[in-house]
Amino acid sequence: MRLDRIRNFSIIAHIDHGKSTLADRLLEATGTVALRDMQDQVLDQLDLERERGITIKAQAVRLAYTASDGITYELNLIDTPGHVDFAYEVSRSLAACEGALLVVDATQGVEAQTLANVYQAIDNHLEVIPVINKIDLANADAELVRREIEEVIGIPADDAILTSARQGIGIDLVLEAIVKRVPPPKGDPGGSLRALIFDAKYDAYRGVVVYVRIVDGRIAAGMRIRMMNNKSEFVVDEVGVFAPAMSPVDELLCGEVGYFIASIKNVRDSKVGDTVTDAAHPTTHPLPGYRAVTPMVYAGIFPVDSDDVTDLKEALQRLNLNDASLIFEPESSAALGFGFRCGFLGLLHMEIVQERLEREFNLSLITTAPTVEYRVRLRSGEVIAIDNPEMLPDASHIDAIEEPRTKATIIVPSTYVGAIMELCQERRGEFQHMDYQPGDRVALTYDLPLGEIIHDFYDQLKSRSRGYASLDYEITGFRAESLVKLDILVGGQRVDALSMIVHRDRANAHGRKLAERLRKLIPRQLFEVPIQAAIGGKIVARETVSAMRKDVLAKCYGGDITRKRKLLEKQREGKRRMKRVGNVEIPQEAFMAVLKMDEQ
Amino acid sequence: MTTARGDVGSLYLHIPFCERKCEYCDFTSVAGATGSDAYMEALCTEVRRLGERLGRLSLDTVFIGGGTPSLVDPELLAGLVATVRNTFSVAVDAEVTMEANPSSVSTGRARAWKAAGVNRISLGVQSLEADALSFLGRVHDADRALAAVGEVRAAGFTSINCDLIYAVPGLGDTRWRRTLERVVAAGPTHISCYELTVEPGTPLHTQVRRGLVKPVEGVRSMRQHRIAVEVLERAGYAQYEVSNFALPGEECRHNLVYWHNGYYAAAGVGAHGHLPAEAAAAIGLDVEAGAVSMRYWHGRGIAAYGRAVGAGLLPVAGSEPVGPGMREQERVMLGLRLREGVRIGASSLVEARALEGLGLLAVDGDRVRATARGEAVLNQVTLRLIGDQAA
Repeated sequence: MRLDRIRNFSIIAHIDHGKSTLADRLLEATGTVALRDMQDQVLDQLDLERERGITIKAQAVRLAYTASDGITYELNLIDTPGHVDFAYEVSRSLAACEGALLVVDATQGVEAQTLANVYQAIDNHLEVIPVINKIDLANADAELVRREIEEVIGIPADDAILTSARQGIGIDLVLEAIVKRVPPPKGDPGGSLRALIFDAKYDAYRGVVVYVRIVDGRIAAGMRIRMMNNKSEFVVDEVGVFAPAMSPVDELLCGEVGYFIASIKNVRDSKVGDTVTDAAHPTTHPLPGYRAVTPMVYAGIFPVDSDDVTDLKEALQRLNLNDASLIFEPESSAALGFGFRCGFLGLLHMEIVQERLEREFNLSLITTAPTVEYRVRLRSGEVIAIDNPEMLPDASHIDAIEEPRTKATIIVPSTYVGAIMELCQERRGEFQHMDYQPGDRVALTYDLPLGEIIHDFYDQLKSRSRGYASLDYEITGFRAESLVKLDILVGGQRVDALSMIVHRDRANAHGRKLAERLRKLIPRQLFEVPIQAAIGGKIVARETVSAMRKDVLAKCYGGDITRKRKLLEKQREGKRRMKRVGNVEIPQEAFMAVLKMDEQ
Repeated sequence: MTTARGDVGSLYLHIPFCERKCEYCDFTSVAGATGSDAYMEALCTEVRRLGERLGRLSLDTVFIGGGTPSLVDPELLAGLVATVRNTFSVAVDAEVTMEANPSSVSTGRARAWKAAGVNRISLGVQSLEADALSFLGRVHDADRALAAVGEVRAAGFTSINCDLIYAVPGLGDTRWRRTLERVVAAGPTHISCYELTVEPGTPLHTQVRRGLVKPVEGVRSMRQHRIAVEVLERAGYAQYEVSNFALPGEECRHNLVYWHNGYYAAAGVGAHGHLPAEAAAAIGLDVEAGAVSMRYWHGRGIAAYGRAVGAGLLPVAGSEPVGPGMREQERVMLGLRLREGVRIGASSLVEARALEGLGLLAVDGDRVRATARGEAVLNQVTLRLIGDQAA
């Protein structure tokens, strides 16, 4: 395909603003997917993605579109993940494109997450085409949204396209705009191969399928290629495009988007952002922008039944084949036994991994409260990284504990500004600035500790703004703070998995709340169970779960023993979801109690 | 006769008719005795068929439960007992229990039952307080209940049980104690005290769901249980099972078969049986490989029961194989209800010691029994002892 007949674009949108529906309409309108094969939201392939209405993995699909000029163009749609956890993947997907559709809900306006992604697109020099969607809804205000796009994002929106993806309105205009406004890719068709990896997925039968954008040169089966970051080399077995199913082609040329398969066993060998080159004629200049993705959030994952630890390991390895950003190493907890300390890109990533482990591998798990990575400066001058409160050295050895800080942007209707500022203050946020935006909305910028953001901040943000606030954040660095370790004792025994690092000023209040919350979560046992919170050996709070008084079936139902046994089995099912620590049975959700402390 | 069938020494027979359905009852029963002639005939047919398939079992206990067996014509009952005696070998000293409600007891009827070969009567007294009886939907009053005990005794019965219910909303501890004392004074040889439980599908359940009735809370219910233990033990009735009390030698042998995880054949609508694998196969149940025994149950419809029996079919609605693991769990679950306790395997001993440390179990060698405190949380104790693995 000639370069000037190719258009590579992605769609940027907030959750629920209609990205998937628009993508479906584009597929339909170009005949990529026959109407009868249309399943809602073709591009979201994981069940989880469909259920949550978000995209976790990037997807790419090739559309053939005959424009009004009579020429048939090759359009490559690269669907980007829609969550802050996957910001780096988004940036690489955008780097593979020359243009982006900015889809904004005509009833909702621009959200913080969208803002962050649009800025990335602008930084990557993409042509941004504003699309105002859901114009068929009664409360749509396209004019207000148009102004908002101009004033908030700072891009012209005079020629924004008005659509209703649901009703199929404006779809042709979008396709025409892609051809007319998105620039064709540039590149050197005769140069040595440079391809940008923007995603990879593991296929049990074929190995890793690598999603690439060819920047220079070409790639074809039989070529020996090299991953420039880790120097590993492979021979290409197959190249192809997504239409939307995988269809092999002879070669992928400069400017094109597609996949290749090269007997790669592990997605770690095909890292997002890496440059693929020809091993025989390697380029000397890798594409810019590669960086190793590092976890932001850490948590312990343990099987409820200790016998399942091998199954858990295998399951993590399987997920890891497809998700290089998930890291894990063995961890042993006095309370929970053997498990794994896992690192995630963010809370959503953590939830997804946990859900997939439980759902796809049928494991019953306990996930401990998430924590961030702290930098601890020891009196010896050594600096160590701590991603597990349990590993914090004794206070006498510590000179200072530094926590990761973020620049957080929150966009919220002005009515809720007070409530949100209060939340940020409670979470030790430092106010930076406040911008008024059209549509009576405010953009707040705070310096917030990452450790606070991962503890129920998002849910609080939503509940205190009736769901209207949106959030984006980026790490800015580390800063020394007065931090201490809060321990929890259940039945007089310290439960390591419940320890957390908190700010000294708030430690007592935290301890009280956590103990109170645990009292509600831990069911009555056969004996009284004290729950205590302690800082450095000093008890700061105590609650008691009183002993169970009665649990007996008085009747024996004639000879119907089956029924009695089944009632007992039902109870046992409930118990099986609990972890026995010492003599006390603690339900799974108790280990996450710290996440929901602001709930009443 | 094979050994496996020789283990079956008990028979349960179900008669579903009642004067009216009680508010709390979810046993198989219908109001009125219409159709009891045909039903009793079908029941006899099923008994005979069991005999054909199982051979002439030696029966040590027979239990005719309901429903209200006392409601049907005594001649029909006599016919049923005669059928059992003709079909099986009923031991000379066998325990033959029949359930009766005070409202359908008279000296004359009781004499007929005695003559038919019934030697133990279980009376559904439930309460002696008028408001509690009316709440429960019982048709008799306290005088009738106490009179019934006398009539049964006058007819020559020496083994008499009274069923009582506690934790009835509105019935305080004092009046519960009074009920117990008055029943004791009437002189039955056995007393069962069951907690009122709200079973799905009963009118009581509907009332609770609508908020019209508030169930008695657990702590108060447990207190009434302890009152029963205290009053009855003082009167010489030993608590030999969580809910059952008897004068020496008057324990219900049929129910002990249940609690000892024994075998029993069953006939009649809704009846549950438990047979060793070979006997289960002999009556026509599909026995899974590896099953030690089978638990099985009859359907609840009277008409369907009659049709099935008439067509020569086994009127069984469902069954469940019991493998060695489940058998062991059931043995412990049931045995823990007994004051004599139950033997446990060596692997449970550590857990048993821990429970002993909590004051919930008494451990004596390889035998454990629940303490008074353990009894209150017996489900938990059981779960701890049988481990949290599925059978």
